[in-house]
Amino acid sequence: MRWLLRRAAWSLFVVWAVVSLAFAVDNLLPGDPARMVAGAQARPADVARIRVQLGLDRPPLVQYALFWRRLVHVGPRDGASGPGHTTCAAIVPLGERALHVDLGKSYQRRQAVVDLVAARLPRTIALALAGLLLQLVFGVTTGVLAASRRGTWLDRALVGSSLLGVSAPTFLIALLLQFTFARVLRWLPLDGFGTTFSEHALGLVLPALTLGIYGAAYYTRLVRDEMALLLSQDWVRTARAKGVSPGGVLVRHALRNALVPILTSAGLDLGALLGGAIVTETVFRWPGIGSLAVSATLNRDGPIILACVIVSAVAVTGSNLVVDALHVRLDPRMRAAG
Amino acid sequence: MRSIPAGLEALAFALACAGALTLAAPLGCTRPLPGPQPAGEQGANPRRGGTLRLASGLDIRNLDPAGPTDGLAMQALLLMFDGLVDFDREGRVIPNLADSWEIGDDGRTYRFHLRPGVRMHDGAELTADDVKRSVERALHPTTPSPTASFFEGIVGYADYASGIAAHLPGVAAEGRYGVTFRLTQTDGAFLALLALPSMRPVCASGGERYLDSWTPCGAGPFKLDAAGWQRGTSLRVIRHDAYFQAGLPHLDAVEWTFNTGALPQRFRFEDGDLDLLLNPTQADVGRFAADPRWEGLHATLADNTSWGEAMNNRMAPFDNVEVRRAVAAAVDRSVLPLINRVNISPLTQLLPRGVPGYDPSFEGQRYDPAAALEHMRRAGYPYDPATGRGGWPRPIVYTVTDPSFESFWAQVLAQQLSRIGLRLQLRLVTLPAFYALTQRQGASAMHPQGNQADYADPSAFFDLLFTSSAITAEGTSNTARYSNPRYDEVVARARHSLDAGLRRALYHEADAILCDDAPWAFTHGQHDYVMRQPYVRGFEPHPIWPLDVRGVWLDRPGAAVPAASAGLR
Repeated sequence: MRWLLRRAAWSLFVVWAVVSLAFAVDNLLPGDPARMVAGAQARPADVARIRVQLGLDRPPLVQYALFWRRLVHVGPRDGASGPGHTTCAAIVPLGERALHVDLGKSYQRRQAVVDLVAARLPRTIALALAGLLLQLVFGVTTGVLAASRRGTWLDRALVGSSLLGVSAPTFLIALLLQFTFARVLRWLPLDGFGTTFSEHALGLVLPALTLGIYGAAYYTRLVRDEMALLLSQDWVRTARAKGVSPGGVLVRHALRNALVPILTSAGLDLGALLGGAIVTETVFRWPGIGSLAVSATLNRDGPIILACVIVSAVAVTGSNLVVDALHVRLDPRMRAAG
Repeated sequence: MRSIPAGLEALAFALACAGALTLAAPLGCTRPLPGPQPAGEQGANPRRGGTLRLASGLDIRNLDPAGPTDGLAMQALLLMFDGLVDFDREGRVIPNLADSWEIGDDGRTYRFHLRPGVRMHDGAELTADDVKRSVERALHPTTPSPTASFFEGIVGYADYASGIAAHLPGVAAEGRYGVTFRLTQTDGAFLALLALPSMRPVCASGGERYLDSWTPCGAGPFKLDAAGWQRGTSLRVIRHDAYFQAGLPHLDAVEWTFNTGALPQRFRFEDGDLDLLLNPTQADVGRFAADPRWEGLHATLADNTSWGEAMNNRMAPFDNVEVRRAVAAAVDRSVLPLINRVNISPLTQLLPRGVPGYDPSFEGQRYDPAAALEHMRRAGYPYDPATGRGGWPRPIVYTVTDPSFESFWAQVLAQQLSRIGLRLQLRLVTLPAFYALTQRQGASAMHPQGNQADYADPSAFFDLLFTSSAITAEGTSNTARYSNPRYDEVVARARHSLDAGLRRALYHEADAILCDDAPWAFTHGQHDYVMRQPYVRGFEPHPIWPLDVRGVWLDRPGAAVPAASAGLR
């Protein structure tokens, strides 16, 4: 438990450090967010007025302090009500009051960032989970198959295909899938999120498949190499000698022991995907965190940039934390080490 | 287990590659271009009904006419909000919600008469109080308007904009249908300014002050559909049945899909899932242009943006007018269409073709390599093209955004200027960095600058870009830091004159001064390009506004009801 608390504290420090770094970079880069709001041709007087409205006339350190003070605070129980809380979301009720999260208001979209993130994060989570699931299904299946037929034409074909998959950029895979399944076969929508649940589900298929194909190649190689190593171990030979079926050896003995590195990779991948699959979301017009981060960066929309950094940092550190906890459960040696 | 030979492994790999290439091949080149979708036989008789479907690679960030806007939002704002005045197809100011106006003898008082019976989207009748409230709302200091200072000439603006006064005394409602604007001095551009979206009346729900949460509501031909704006995804506006112009609009609805890449847009358009295709890639334009079935189904839109090479008049070597003249004479604008023949047209003067005041007979800056070398000699930097000796001794940093058309053009420009002894060193930056560097004194010696007509008047270019008063330490629009008292005087006279003939002559004189002093080497005008399906009828590019579909109707085979028999007013 102490170990978990220590890791959790360390994760919080990492999030603080990453967000502070993002704040510093956002302020040090040349460019005026107020100018980006007003447009290239706006007169200095109009840009100056918008700068004041956005609070950008204050010194950066004051803005930094206000950002952290506002980020988590106690406010009215019903969230975004009352002056000073219009950009808040109540996350934990505390009697008559509640714990608020406030990510500020987008300079460009003029919406509470917490609302933007709340709308887009579930879409990114859905895409990340679907993509990772496909990666694991494709990758583990082909990896196990290649390991079990090591040295055969099947092994070489699967490893060769995985090389293609890992070499092809996601936008190429995305365009090929769009052309084949949406343009020629017309089975799936070309892009977009849709408005009904079935449209959401259909719209998810191609982006998830893109991530699945791209990431599966890595898992194929990982699982194949890991399994190949394990299958040559003495205890595997012993299991075979004791009459365990080939499938049982493969799944119960080898694959189970290969789970630790697979889980580690999957955890890290999930964290990265939750931060936004930027290219895939953009190509498929999937309105998630990744595409939001791209437009915010291009427009110097500081509050959204910081929110996306927070989401990404929390996702990566959180998934690492979960993976570490699962390691302890899966690996008896780690339990023994305390 | 038996291992397969290495040769077979290579063969398997080659086959996999061939499979991938086979899949990829149709993506770019082998699929024939489909023909246009069929049209009905209605011809010139408008039909009522149907939804016009559009797409864009961009997103709309705001639908309040008083707030920040952009080219895409303008398309929607034009449909949802009408102004007191508008522009006709020749770019002239015409009555709209106001059916007439008078200008006082002093030239500083404008009295508008609203059309009785104009209905807003909420059903209420438009009154003079709505106009006053909307103007005050747009110009209030808490409103994030990027154009509020355009109206600094209204009496009492300074006090109102600084929060000292609660109301704007220069705008007064007189009775139910009369509105008076009083100006501190005469302004030849005031009527054109009133056509700006920010000056368009909004419903009572818009309130006295700008609010981000407001649902757009105006007096335009279309209104926002219920839940019609899915942020980041789509926008749908539907016909305002009580629109004041009889018989308009013809369409039931207009829909935009946002954040759609160029390729999906083309796919959708070819399949008939989009009715208009805005700014296709050059390669796609080439394919459509080469196919006779698509002949006559493309158009260029408002040519209301001009571009030039801004030279910082306070930095060497451009503090020397002869060097600037050399650059203006060394730029061969005829090669620009080789880089982009879709959206670009060479330009030798300040005003683009779509803005009133453009003079096609004015030669402006002329490509003349010999004259350019002579100007370099006069500047004290003679250059010999045969030996490559002479010229300005140091590289000139040229700031440009990347990726952009300008970064491609910069490479050609660098070659052209090297022929007169000027060496450009390209500094590729992001858009925010570009603004920061070019609008700050001493941070950029040379860079491209474009200006789109905020309103259809020459002052939108002459005042903003080159007057001495536009120079500020930070955020200036006069990025060339050009200052010429004679020019300032001519432009000020033109701005404050109400005599159209005199204004034209004065702006012509100002243009001649600019072409000679060459703070910019004018290079090109820019316009959007659109393809349409043949059943999209009544589409006429507007000289001022972007993609204007207010008069469009759809003529699908056997689809909708002719407007004449639909009982329209």
